[in-house]
Amino acid sequence: MKGHVKGVILVILLGIFTLAGALMPGIQIAYAHELSIALTLVAVALGYRIYVHGIRSLMHRNVTAQLFATIAIFISVIAGFVLPAASATGTAGAVGYLTASAIVAFIILSGMTLEDYIIHRTRGALEKLINMSPTTARIRREGVEVEVLIDEVKLGEVVLVKPGDKIPVDGTVISGQSTVNQATITGESIPVEKTVGDRTFAGTLNEHGALEIKVEKIAEDTTLAHLIQLVEEAQEKKAPIQNVADRFTTYFLPIMAVVASSVFVASYFALGFDVALSRTVTVLLVACPCALAIAVPVAVAATIGNASMNGVIIKGGTHIEKLKDVKLVAFDKTGTLTIGEPKVVEIKTFGNYSEADTIKYAAIAEKFSEHPLSKAIIAKAAEMNMKIPDPTDFKTIPGQGVNAHYGNKHILIGRKLIEIGLSEEANQLISRVESEGKTAIPVALDKHVIGIVVVADTVRENSLESIQRLKRLGVKTVMLTGDSTLTAKSIAEQIGVDEYHAELLPEEKVAIIVELKKDNVVAMVGDGVNDAPALANSDVSFAMGAAGSDVAMETADVVLLGDDLTKVEYAISLSRKAFNRMKGNIAYAFVWNIVALSLAAFGILNPVLAVVLSEAGCISVVINSSLLLRSKPKLLAEVQG
Amino acid sequence: MNVERVILNASKIDCTGCSTCAVFKAENLQHAIARLNGVLKVKVDEIAGKVTIEYDKEKIILSKITERIGRLGYQVKIISEEEIQ
Repeated sequence: MKGHVKGVILVILLGIFTLAGALMPGIQIAYAHELSIALTLVAVALGYRIYVHGIRSLMHRNVTAQLFATIAIFISVIAGFVLPAASATGTAGAVGYLTASAIVAFIILSGMTLEDYIIHRTRGALEKLINMSPTTARIRREGVEVEVLIDEVKLGEVVLVKPGDKIPVDGTVISGQSTVNQATITGESIPVEKTVGDRTFAGTLNEHGALEIKVEKIAEDTTLAHLIQLVEEAQEKKAPIQNVADRFTTYFLPIMAVVASSVFVASYFALGFDVALSRTVTVLLVACPCALAIAVPVAVAATIGNASMNGVIIKGGTHIEKLKDVKLVAFDKTGTLTIGEPKVVEIKTFGNYSEADTIKYAAIAEKFSEHPLSKAIIAKAAEMNMKIPDPTDFKTIPGQGVNAHYGNKHILIGRKLIEIGLSEEANQLISRVESEGKTAIPVALDKHVIGIVVVADTVRENSLESIQRLKRLGVKTVMLTGDSTLTAKSIAEQIGVDEYHAELLPEEKVAIIVELKKDNVVAMVGDGVNDAPALANSDVSFAMGAAGSDVAMETADVVLLGDDLTKVEYAISLSRKAFNRMKGNIAYAFVWNIVALSLAAFGILNPVLAVVLSEAGCISVVINSSLLLRSKPKLLAEVQG
Repeated sequence: MNVERVILNASKIDCTGCSTCAVFKAENLQHAIARLNGVLKVKVDEIAGKVTIEYDKEKIILSKITERIGRLGYQVKIISEEEIQ
């Protein structure tokens, strides 16, 4: 910020001296003209930033717009002393030339300062993340609560987080219960429940309850710190379209030097020295390579900054360009479109037994099993606030079920173990459920079937919306899964994907991606770890729910930190917008330069108008690019291709 | 504390002929290095492509700093190293 204040003060001083110098001849005092010249020369000198930059760049063999400006201003100042003396207008004539030089310096310096400021603002998104990084933590040492600097916290220690406090570390909750706003990381502002065993991230906000968190990652190793680093790196990676701009800018200034010399020579012979000088100065001032050079980098930084505020990391300009062309998105099913953990979705009871009885006996038998289906039943029991006693004995029969005793009661779980005792009604239910791709688990008590628990992987809340959004963009959707065709069909119908492929081995997923790539630019969305080969073979890989997984964050082209799949459409839409903006900027800057240059060469512009034009061209490009930072994710109804 | 000053050449073939663009890149580079734990002072001269860094040798090693600059897309060359404290 300090630098900007200094810059603004310089601009204001330069303006004041210019104005004072210009007004001075009107005042009836002795040496008014000499005083005026002195004031104006101070004004010109206050533009030293321009000259220092121009000359130092030249010393490093880099020709810049600032060098041209320096030469132009220098020529004007010299002309101010030489030409009027030759034509006998004396000091009064000198003032005119000098004032013009000072005004030119004023406009250029104002432009440089304003551009620096706007560009500094594009760092806003990154600064926001950096400011969320905690600096202190409250920990318990030898029974006493102390507040320490974050660098002094050690792995394995326990931090205490009060309601309303920022969570200082990545870790696991070991005591307490609360809601945590994770918007910093995931971009999702709806708070998440956190209780014993849940993971927390540094920089997120604890809302209502107190939490004790065991430290797993600190300072530079936290997810937030990685996120910041990735955004920093991504903003520096240039987009291929920049090569177009670079090709122009490399030759731009040398060509301008040639043009300026030709204009001087031609005008000198046709119109005389004075006119030739003025036109040459104007040509030197009108050249605006900045608009071309900066058209893309600022847009890339603003786009990536915008995405990072919405829980999405786009890893560089190249991916923005790939994303804009995506015509097909392939999703992994389990854990991506679905939650990936089976849940009890239906309970059917027989006889006088209740749903609670069915779940209770099933849970007793499954209590010590690690099978995902067992976990679903235990979770359901917990959800129903049941306290589950231990079974007296139990035996898990792989692929079949569980045979257990609880006191003198005999519990059998699983269709293969109790097939004989199933009623017609039960059999009908089982075949219906299986046709929907779900799993039916019959529960028998003392050889009587008391109920059937139906377990299925559930579709994520926003999978359907994500697919709808992509369809509105005109993007095709495909689901890939290793699961059975029945399950795949059922999920595909629920969310409306255009196409699905089931019973795939990992290498078959790769083969399908390669095949799809023949006709389309293909994005693949997965969890970033299990589907790594397929992701690596796609044109743009998305890892979702990647917060906390360093591997996923590191390898994917686009990282969705939360598990909101609608962000796939957001990333594509934002990239399309960003790319159009970049292309527009380059075209605009190019045309602007050509038009301004022609006007200057034919003497339609004077030097002051020339700098106004060139600075306006540059600033409008910078503003246009940096506005990408403000672009918001669309509502479903607003999405269109 | 064991402070060392290192001067690096960080080059990038970007921002032809534009001071604004160079300032922009320099600011990003400066902030990214300054945030590293153990780095005390960073000065980026965008015109010369020179970066002067003072860091605490007990907290960070030079290769970690150069690696970070490399990851930001610059080619790094060490010009001079001197212990100052």
